Amino acid sequence: MPLKKVIETKKVSRVFKNGDIEVHALTDVNLVIERGEFVAIMGASGSGKSTFLNILGCLDQPTSGEYYLDGVHVNKLSKNQLADIRNQKIGFIFQSYNLLSRTTAIENVELPLVYDRTGRFSNSKELAIKALGEVGLEDRIYHKTNELSGGQQQRVAIARALVNEPALILSDEATGNLDSKTSIDVADLFVRLNDQGKTILMITHEPEIAQFAKRMIYMRDGRILTDEIIKDRSTKESALKDLELTTEPIK
Amino acid sequence: MKQTLKIFKVAFQAINKNRTRSILTMLGVIIGVAAVIMTISAGEGATTQVQNQISGLGTNLLMIQTKSEHKAGINVRMGKPIYKKDFNILQKNAIYMPKLSPLLAIGAQAIGPDGYKSTMVYGVSYDYFYITSKEIQSGSFFSDEDVKTAKKYCVIGQTIREELFPGQDPIGKQIRIDKVPFTIVGLLKEEGSGGMGQDMDDIVLAPYTTIQNRIFGNRKRGYNMILASALSEDHILDAKIEATELLRESHKIKAGDDDDFEIMTQIELQEITSNITGILTLLLGAVASISLIVGGIGIMNIMLVSVTERTREIGTRLAIGARESDILTQFLIEAIVLSLAGGVLGVALGVIGNQIIYKAIDFYIPTAAYSILIGFGFATLVGIVFGYFPARKAAKLNPIDALRYE
Repeated sequence: MPLKKVIETKKVSRVFKNGDIEVHALTDVNLVIERGEFVAIMGASGSGKSTFLNILGCLDQPTSGEYYLDGVHVNKLSKNQLADIRNQKIGFIFQSYNLLSRTTAIENVELPLVYDRTGRFSNSKELAIKALGEVGLEDRIYHKTNELSGGQQQRVAIARALVNEPALILSDEATGNLDSKTSIDVADLFVRLNDQGKTILMITHEPEIAQFAKRMIYMRDGRILTDEIIKDRSTKESALKDLELTTEPIK
Repeated sequence: MKQTLKIFKVAFQAINKNRTRSILTMLGVIIGVAAVIMTISAGEGATTQVQNQISGLGTNLLMIQTKSEHKAGINVRMGKPIYKKDFNILQKNAIYMPKLSPLLAIGAQAIGPDGYKSTMVYGVSYDYFYITSKEIQSGSFFSDEDVKTAKKYCVIGQTIREELFPGQDPIGKQIRIDKVPFTIVGLLKEEGSGGMGQDMDDIVLAPYTTIQNRIFGNRKRGYNMILASALSEDHILDAKIEATELLRESHKIKAGDDDDFEIMTQIELQEITSNITGILTLLLGAVASISLIVGGIGIMNIMLVSVTERTREIGTRLAIGARESDILTQFLIEAIVLSLAGGVLGVALGVIGNQIIYKAIDFYIPTAAYSILIGFGFATLVGIVFGYFPARKAAKLNPIDALRYE
């Protein structure tokens, strides 16, 4: 039986030291995210959301406080163990896709499996094709990344984040480089993946994208300011309709 | 194991993606390895040729000459010259040296009916032809009797014939050496060029008595050397001891004093030249190795550029679960594959280069097997050494910074 809590932070703080100056990027952040949640984190630049995401993504470790990811106490892990945790439990999605250039979609999606040391995946090719199917790119499997549009590239990146069956999908401004319509498509894809039971945490600047999530956290000055359930979630249809209204030419 | 295979695949993909750059990077190693193979092979080829030359000098050869010392690069004779008296004593008493010949060498102009040629004239005895295994093409050698009676006969090499009697049979014709007319009685077979590049056919042989009487006249002059042939290969050392004893007696050297002459056997000569050519080969190989190191620096340079250029890629790999060691291995394999591929192509180029030189200047260079090993091994080492630093730089990148790298 999988654990209910995917993320649990207890008084997590992160202090950067730059000479004599101490920057408190995160201060005593407590957060619990359960399996199947879809959380959006918003906040201005410098609010600490990226630092928080780095810690949640096991790319960085807190200065103080405890962080449990899928029941694993991350603070105590070595560099190699952190790498393995990232490989097994997290799927990353980046703003600028970060795909390998001049490489086929399937090779990109297979990449996390290259670094798998558990041996739990027998046929990486099959899994990659399945993941590409889940993001609607079954007819682009052998296309090279430079032959794909921005939205398609981000879908490849999402497939890459899905392929290792992670406990948590972390998205860092996934729609930041996309136009409004494609952004809505990607957000809608997140909703569908969440409906299938995937736990998703996304950072975004755009309120209309955050509105697709089930829960919204607002950060300021390294602390969580608000944390509430979204009542009137956007759907693809409602978002597209809003988009039409806002982009109507001024008469 | 499976993990390593996967990383290998990743490294190959990266090399394949930057094909032009990869080939250019390899070029340094290709040239370096080819240079190492070709210089070592050339050195080995020269060594073999010199050795053949020396064994072609004669059978069980001993060379007896006045002791000389190198002083400031000049050969200075130290001991008493070797005179006819010494030669006579050897000839009368030696048991282990049945064949003996004095050697009187002069550089002179051989003047023919239509021209002249600067050459080396050797005054020798009939035994010389046996000792040095000379072979005649037409005519004959001068005889023992001719030497005794100091006949003005000579035997010439092919180069002299070509220069002075082109397209003619030189037998019976005359050439003048230092105003003395000599009748040509024999023509030597062609020998080709020596290991050091000298022309072995540019030679005139005449009875030493004639040279002594007609050319040196009353000037008292020692022999350049006495050439001797030992009874058999097993008796070379006996012959050397015998000659030493006889000459010490002849030169009245007291017990305990040093010899004032030198006796060198063919084997010793081979050892000395083999040492010299060995040093030469080593030196050339070392110079060639420098080009290989330069090639390695080229690899390091490109790998560093590649690491910088692929910072984001490295960040992504680290973020999705690559360990530092995975990244290190990947870049190290890339560097090693580049240098190994360069090594293989370099070996091919070196072997082909040797063939081209052989065709072009007719100097046979057998590709030394160990030169391939050295070239290839060195290329691998270069790949590891110069690939390690960029690979470590890649592995030590902080994933957060690497992901944001523009």
